[in-house]
Amino acid sequence: MTTVIEVQHLTKRYREQNALDDVSLELRENVVYGLLGRNGAGKTTLMSILTAQNFATEGEVPVFGEDPYENTRVLPRVCFVRESQKYPDDAKPGHAFAAARLFFERWDQELADDLVKAFGLPVNRRIKKLSRGQLSTVGVIIGIASRAEITFFDEPYLGLDAVARQIFYDRLLQDYAEHPRTIVLSSHLIDEVADLLEHVVVIDGGRIVIDEDTEDLRGRAATIVGPTDAVSAFTAGREVVHTQSLGRTTEATVLGALSPDDRAALAAAGLDLAPVSLQQLVVRMTQRATDSPGAGARAASRAGAGALGLADTDADTEALR
Amino acid sequence: MNRILKVVRLQLIQKMTFVWIPLIVVGGSLLVSILIWAMIPPGGVKYSGGGQAIVWYFVAIGVQALTLTFPFSQALSITRRDFVLGTLLMAVIASAAIATLFTVGALVETATGGWGVNGTFFRFGWLWEQGWWAAWLAYFAAPFLLFTIGFASAAIFKRWGTVAVVATGIGLALLGVGAMWLIGALDAWPSVLETLAGVTAASLALLGVLAAAVLSISPYAIMRRAVP
Repeated sequence: MTTVIEVQHLTKRYREQNALDDVSLELRENVVYGLLGRNGAGKTTLMSILTAQNFATEGEVPVFGEDPYENTRVLPRVCFVRESQKYPDDAKPGHAFAAARLFFERWDQELADDLVKAFGLPVNRRIKKLSRGQLSTVGVIIGIASRAEITFFDEPYLGLDAVARQIFYDRLLQDYAEHPRTIVLSSHLIDEVADLLEHVVVIDGGRIVIDEDTEDLRGRAATIVGPTDAVSAFTAGREVVHTQSLGRTTEATVLGALSPDDRAALAAAGLDLAPVSLQQLVVRMTQRATDSPGAGARAASRAGAGALGLADTDADTEALR
Repeated sequence: MNRILKVVRLQLIQKMTFVWIPLIVVGGSLLVSILIWAMIPPGGVKYSGGGQAIVWYFVAIGVQALTLTFPFSQALSITRRDFVLGTLLMAVIASAAIATLFTVGALVETATGGWGVNGTFFRFGWLWEQGWWAAWLAYFAAPFLLFTIGFASAAIFKRWGTVAVVATGIGLALLGVGAMWLIGALDAWPSVLETLAGVTAASLALLGVLAAAVLSISPYAIMRRAVP
């Protein structure tokens, strides 16, 4: 598959803090990426640099093989609407879409109109009077209707209710199926977007901690469901990422691919396999990456692990990497 | 060029800023002036400074073009160069429109005997000494210069913050004071005042356009590395 962006040893330094620390990453054509990470992990900074809205301190970010900065061969093929996007004073959503239509060659007005209807966006109300969710909708519609070859969505669901979020996921997927392109979806609502993602990039403290196809990532763990006693017996000695009990039934996610013996044992014990929660997996693996030597102690994320009920284990983590 | 013209169209998509508000400001201040003149007992020519209101508005649009429209232009994947050039072209067009409005307004003012109440809103004698073209140039230079002042200040703010804007202002004031001291030290005040008295509308306008042109270069230099 063709590579559209090749991030090479990208570092962004703000005074004493590294917002991005030696990031190397390859984005391919026509793939939906999830750029996951906690608030302040460096997601927006990375996307800003890839679209020449911000600048690297060190490293290169060729987009379609060229430096995107002030590059009219690259920029019109890229769309990045920020989560805190600003619009001209007194502009209405209709103005914003008319402007986007001027600059994005593949802009589809019919699609934009259709999305406006689907989201119920008031196009004639001034943008500064819109609610947070409606403001997000303006950016989402520009992102989808621009059909840019590389489209970045920066936490696009902020302020959107569950119904609107579902419309966004459905319409994005539908349009992606008809018009494939590279989509980068930054999010911290991991489980909600999990089904959309073909590839997961997790960034933490400015460093890439996971860069893997979603299926492979899910294969690194298994979720077992069944009677509490039987589940405990099976998970004994394994690294448990997450457990949840309801009555006498327990659901546990353990790290490590299952062997044929494991599967036989599961069947014998009357235990079932359930889909792995990408969120639990990412949280656990992020934890591990930050706890590993060299990454520096991050007290805050350790506290976070406790709050999430994650077992602190000394299991041989490297075996799984 | 095509991309620069598209930026002009981008600035014009929302007609309020560059078309309706300037017209409302000029029309509104003219109306208020006429009403006030009508209340004053007839006598000599009555002047109004209401015309300058629109000129100050250009500082505001210069600032907004940068603080609000620049981040939006980045979301539309417009290069910084195209954005700055297109926005300056927009300012030139808007200033030319204002200049034409004022020139025509002045002609109407003369034709109607000062709007029927002997008022002067557009036609200030000194500006017209060299003819309508010099007046047009002065009416053009004022809003364009103020736009570039707003644009350049906002660029400095965007890149380096409030302190830099204040520091630049103080720095320029110090330069002014320094120049005054120098003139005093050289005992040059009489000749300077003489020169100032001889300044014509056209030369002042050209000086303004020149200053605006210099100021126009700075936003691009500053915006090259600004983050929306």
